[in-house]
Amino acid sequence: MLNYLLRRLIIAVFLLIGIGIVSFIVIKLPPGDFASRYRQFLLDRGSPQVEADRAAQMLRERYDLDKPVPVQFFLWVKGMVTEGKFGYSFAYRKDVGELVAERLPKTLLLALLCHFISTVVGVGLGIFVAPRKYGFWDNFWAILAFIFTSVPRFSIAIILLYVLVIKLHQPSISSFFSPEFVIAPWSLERVIDMLRHIWPAVLIAGLGGVARNLRVMRGNLLDVLGAQYVQTARSKGLKERVVIMKHAVPNALHTIVAYQGTVLPYMMQGELEAAIVLGLPTMGPLFYESLVNQDIYISGSLLLMYGALILVGNLLADIFLAVLDPRIRYS
Amino acid sequence: MSDEITPAAAASQPIAGHMQNESYFQLVWRRFRRSKASLVGGCLVLTLITLAVFADFFCPTSIYHIDLKSTFIPPQRVHFIDKDGQFHLWPFVYNYTYTLNPKTFQVYWAEDESKPYEIKFFVTGSEYKLLGFIPANLHLFGVEEGGTIYLLGTDKMGRDLWGKACEAGRISLTMSLFGTLISIAVGSILGVASGYYGGWIDNVLQRFTEFVAAFPNLPLWMALAALVPKTADSFSVFVIMSCIFALLSWTVLAREVRGKVLAMRSTDFVLAAKEMGASDARIIFRHLYPNTLSHVIVILTLTIPGVILAESFLSFLGIGISEPLISWGLLMRNTQDIQTLGQNSWILSPIAFIVAAVLGFNFLGDGLRDAADPYATM
Repeated sequence: MLNYLLRRLIIAVFLLIGIGIVSFIVIKLPPGDFASRYRQFLLDRGSPQVEADRAAQMLRERYDLDKPVPVQFFLWVKGMVTEGKFGYSFAYRKDVGELVAERLPKTLLLALLCHFISTVVGVGLGIFVAPRKYGFWDNFWAILAFIFTSVPRFSIAIILLYVLVIKLHQPSISSFFSPEFVIAPWSLERVIDMLRHIWPAVLIAGLGGVARNLRVMRGNLLDVLGAQYVQTARSKGLKERVVIMKHAVPNALHTIVAYQGTVLPYMMQGELEAAIVLGLPTMGPLFYESLVNQDIYISGSLLLMYGALILVGNLLADIFLAVLDPRIRYS
Repeated sequence: MSDEITPAAAASQPIAGHMQNESYFQLVWRRFRRSKASLVGGCLVLTLITLAVFADFFCPTSIYHIDLKSTFIPPQRVHFIDKDGQFHLWPFVYNYTYTLNPKTFQVYWAEDESKPYEIKFFVTGSEYKLLGFIPANLHLFGVEEGGTIYLLGTDKMGRDLWGKACEAGRISLTMSLFGTLISIAVGSILGVASGYYGGWIDNVLQRFTEFVAAFPNLPLWMALAALVPKTADSFSVFVIMSCIFALLSWTVLAREVRGKVLAMRSTDFVLAAKEMGASDARIIFRHLYPNTLSHVIVILTLTIPGVILAESFLSFLGIGISEPLISWGLLMRNTQDIQTLGQNSWILSPIAFIVAAVLGFNFLGDGLRDAADPYATM
């Protein structure tokens, strides 16, 4: 098994390098180098030309923009790994690393919360509907699941925003905390306050995840319930509840674990959409803003971060599955 | 009467086991028909395509009509009972007139109940080119001269949202279809190559597929779409955007095709073809690929909704396509401003079109997946 994990790890490193290269291409793709765009940015702001030229030159030296592209890529990666230096954002006038450090924990919190809730709810509903195959509740949830995955999440976000702000006059939107809790130390009230602010985002990103987990769990459980050992358990005279919860569900859960790797990107994208529309200060709106402003180091770095997060998620799902299920072949 | 059966009689007599002789498509249709959801999906998709193709016909005014004096008119209600409480057999609408709040300069639209306008069907109105070249002036419905009929209200430019939403389907649907077709082409080529040749080619292609699949779709789509120069002409933007969507959506198909080809590579009919000296190209195009086609069509149908959702999100953010092209997402661009949305909630209506399209294709794809292999028992 150690062998298997090691190989997974090596593949992940190569994938990460690949994602890094693509992110770097996104940084390099727009015409002109970063410094010349920064110079233009300063000129548009009304800086004198001498000043703009000097600032651009400084940037060129600091970020090694005069070196050949492969060297630049190497230095970019080196800067990230050793100093946490991701590149310069001219809109925020600081290093992208600081921006990422500010927003990454919030993004992770949201994504993991969505992920956790949608998995628990989805699996629970799957267990609930599978024994009622083609019954009322099964059809009811099947239809709901279809709707959850078909409605664009940004539009759910707009509708929610509309209802909360225009109809209900809710102030708790577009931030993580009420003003009085922003710098307060962690306490129960602060957590509750935060939940009051972020539940729309969790709901929006989570609905699709619930639907997907529900479908997968239902399918698995139905497969397992048709197996012979379940029949044996039933003929032993066990209660249906025990048959399902003790014999069927644990075996159906493996696929759910393997499936988490697929759901994670979906949840991240849901979080991205919801956070952009609701204006929550996570990586999503920063990414969108940087794309509109052509603040290209932010775009590239965040692209890398998204790729890395999903990669790590997949890796964890694989490892967890290997630990959980001894039947996995390590070849 | 002799027992001898004449050829003519044989032809007219039902042969035992006749039912098995149905063609593949008849079998697929027979199984597809069984599922109500997939029929509904098919109807939804067909309706949206019809609305998009004949948008000029379904819109009472010209779809290019801009009237800055009638911006943000709420949806006009269809009445049967007039202001005196009298019932009319024929539906009618009232025009909207606006009043200005003298303090806030906010515009209020109110129904002008002095003159009802009856809704007429198949009226002649503004001229347009049907399918782009047939001159026509027939519209499905409309009202007499002087009246207006905006069933979904109007947008910022005073354009009829219903007509615009129909027209937006042209870009939304063709772009998703075009993007998906490109991804199907890429996925098929890579999948067949991977499955048929095996060995190091398979290894390299599989690692490559894994790598592309590991990439977060939406952020990369957003990043690439934002790089498309704003000055590019409409057609290039359309093609570039389609290619961007195709770039990441081919992995599912490539894997599926590879699996299929791999399984069939060593079946008797392929070995026989090889023994008879058929070239690789002949085996691939005559024997292997046609057998994966049903799966390809299923994945085609199931990839489209994802592209529609992504496209609408990008256009909604303003980094997808831009005017004069129009898509469902772009129509909702104004809803980003919470103030505009608060006063004119009806501009959310294109959501219904997106949902209909996504649901339609999903249902259709699900039905096709069950029907694609009609020889399997259910």
